[in-house]
Amino acid sequence: MIDFPSTLLITSILGALLAGFACSTTGAFVVRMNLSSIGYLMSHAAFAGAAFGLMISIDPIIGAIFFSFGISLVLGPLAEKARLESNIVIGFLFSFMIALAFIFLNFIPGTAASARALRILWGSIFSVSTTDLFLLSIFSFIIIVFVVIFYKELIAIMFNRKLAESSGVNTRLYYFAVLFLTGIAVSLSIRIVGGLLVFALIINPTSTAYQFFFDFKKIFIFSPIIGIVSCLVGFWLSLISDFPIGASIVLISAIVFTIAIIFSPKRKKGKSKIKKVLA
Amino acid sequence: MKKNSNLIELVNIETVYEGERLPVIYDVNLKVEPGEFISIIGPNGAGKTTLLETINGLLTYSKGKGFVFGKEIKKHKSEIRKEIGYVIQNFEMDPLAPFLCKDIVMSGRTGKIGTFRFARKKDWDKVWYSMGLVGMIDFANRPIGKLSGGEFQKILLSRALAQNPKLLLLDEPFSNLDYASRKQVETLLNRIHEKNNITILIVSHDLNFVPSRCKRIIVLEHGKIIMDGSREKILKSEIINSIFNGNGGKI
Ligand SMILES: Nc1ncnc2c1ncn2[C@@H]1O[C@H](COP(=O)(O)OP(=O)(O)OP(=O)(O)O)[C@@H](O)[C@H]1O
Ligand SMILES: [Mg+2]
Repeated sequence: MIDFPSTLLITSILGALLAGFACSTTGAFVVRMNLSSIGYLMSHAAFAGAAFGLMISIDPIIGAIFFSFGISLVLGPLAEKARLESNIVIGFLFSFMIALAFIFLNFIPGTAASARALRILWGSIFSVSTTDLFLLSIFSFIIIVFVVIFYKELIAIMFNRKLAESSGVNTRLYYFAVLFLTGIAVSLSIRIVGGLLVFALIINPTSTAYQFFFDFKKIFIFSPIIGIVSCLVGFWLSLISDFPIGASIVLISAIVFTIAIIFSPKRKKGKSKIKKVLA
Repeated sequence: MKKNSNLIELVNIETVYEGERLPVIYDVNLKVEPGEFISIIGPNGAGKTTLLETINGLLTYSKGKGFVFGKEIKKHKSEIRKEIGYVIQNFEMDPLAPFLCKDIVMSGRTGKIGTFRFARKKDWDKVWYSMGLVGMIDFANRPIGKLSGGEFQKILLSRALAQNPKLLLLDEPFSNLDYASRKQVETLLNRIHEKNNITILIVSHDLNFVPSRCKRIIVLEHGKIIMDGSREKILKSEIINSIFNGNGGKI
């Protein structure tokens, strides 16, 4: 372990914390609204966008937001039409985005090119700037407000889209909103967690929370807590082991998820009770 | 205008599913007055669900004109839906679904409460009341995925009732209920109908279960309304017996 200036350490910790919050909060909705595969694609579009940003020497976050927004515009309507083979389209676009990203990365100007390219691939917590922290904080605030204001609509949609629509909810609008927010969460976290792994941070904490709770309110509270803890522990792991930050975060959140599956009360079958009856 | 005296008015309606060429229901003409209680019967695939979803605008008709509450369905979808309670035909519920029954019942009121507004005490009162009506108040804090088929159906019904609708569209609400529950729900529907002057359309493929206050029966076959008339007349007719293979007519 090397010694770090404490401001750098604090910035990094805050970055990990906010990225964990942003991704796992949006994740709670993405998972339940069956947007996982679209979100997965979007994180790779963001990655391609970030690479594009580096190539033309603008902030990669701007490129990422631009690309993921584009994808949500293309795929939002697709998600509506059950008849279109959306999985095929997603599969096609997914490889296309990766190909684009690698091409862009190849053309990043300057000598430090490969290092910067690797950073958006694997993530690097020490490239977090105060602007990033600022943007992540604003985004976290926006998503909290969004959920609080539209909680009842979101619950209705997540239960059953048709029934929600039948009680007068414009479900399309909310699908778009969630897709759009996912794109931003992914784009803002890409520098920290890395483009290849950021989506794990959206899925894993929520999936973990799902193992324990039957009340969405609790999932909405615990999913970010699990996300934040995974990010902080992952950060610590990467400090002591020199693993890339994104990889350590995902590793931790995957371990937490595995443990959750094993100990999930939802999967227990009440063995003890049966034994009692038999005895 | 005359149009306004009818709660539902469908004129030469035809509904085609996306990506299909042939309409699933066609030449549908239907007038329903406020306060009617109607059973829609027909074999599987006749188009009963399609008809209900055309009425609340979930499916868009490709021909004809449709009005609910005197408003054209296509133009006022979300407005009229707030006043229509819909109980969907069976659907699979993920057993791990993270929602409590009371929240599901409350979700029926989403449109009614309105965007940017929060559920108030009077909304919760309505939720408790309608859960009480179907006898499911003890299930308020149960996860929705852990209910039996019949319990789930009663929750869906109370979800629709919580909306305090002017029009209730029920798609096979009896299909998972045992005899006692059917009786209970039938009594409940009769009571709601009597007390609230609500209009009810109930879909079923079981002729043996037409609630007693239901005075009109519509028979759908192959996408067309083939009969529409009083309960007595329809139940006595020959065609009914041929459609239902001698299975019906004994009420
Ligand atoms: N999404 C869809 N796309 C294409 N065709 C459909 C779709 N849904 C239903 N259909 C067709 O429309 C016809 C009528 O379907 P509908 O669900 O309205 O029947 P139903 O009378 O409700 O039958 P059931 O008693 O089985 O519920 C059927 O032949 C069915 O195959
Ligand atoms: Mg049906």
